[in-house]
Amino acid sequence: MAATRGEVLRLYKKMLRESISFSNYSYRTYALRRIKDAFRENKGESDPGKIKDLIMYGVHNLEIIKRQVVISQLYKTPELIVEACKKQSNDQKT
Amino acid sequence: MAMNNASRIIGAGLKNHLKFSSVRVFAPRISSVAFSQSNSLHGKKWKHSILAESSILCRTNLVSQSLASVRSFSEKPPLTLEMIRDRVLLVLKLYDKIDSEKLTLDSHFMTDMGLDSLDHVEVVMAMEDEFGFEIPDSDAERLLRPNDIIRYVADKEDVYE
Repeated sequence: MAATRGEVLRLYKKMLRESISFSNYSYRTYALRRIKDAFRENKGESDPGKIKDLIMYGVHNLEIIKRQVVISQLYKTPELIVEACKKQSNDQKT
Repeated sequence: MAMNNASRIIGAGLKNHLKFSSVRVFAPRISSVAFSQSNSLHGKKWKHSILAESSILCRTNLVSQSLASVRSFSEKPPLTLEMIRDRVLLVLKLYDKIDSEKLTLDSHFMTDMGLDSLDHVEVVMAMEDEFGFEIPDSDAERLLRPNDIIRYVADKEDVYE
């Protein structure tokens, strides 16, 4: 059980870390939100078989995210206005 | 008049050059410093005659190059324990699931603040982003109070009282 817990947390962190690198704003925010929601949705799961399936599903999606991140960096879209605004307000804060 | 115009054009080109090189390469805070320095230097030379222009060009290029090399190898700003504490607390306050009024240095993330292990992972990731180094999972498990994080960061950055 303890092993699975660590495994899930590691997977969670890996997926979040990977998704931050999406260059497209919409993909990035969607991926982060979807990952957070999906892990929270199933956090009460106690059936070991189901947990294993969910982890497999997560690993599978992590691979997809990794590939899509590379593709998104190859075909960058210009930054959205929201991103530029956020950056500016961050600069002013610091 | 023509001379004036020419100098203006060169000046604009220089400015652009500086802006791009600084903004691209450096962190925002540092780039603003570099930018203002080069600007003021440029401003001083601005009043000189056009004869001095080629030398300005060379010099500003030199300055921007030397600035660039200094900046990209520069040290991080010195850390003190108070600064680490403030930054840790700021990051925690900005995390939306933490009630900033209940937050103290000794409150436990799980039992006092009501976070779950997934939130804890997010907190640790935020700390990694803030201080710019990776925290291995085995260490992350032990960072359950703000005080633990402060001590851990201080140890990593070699900050002592």
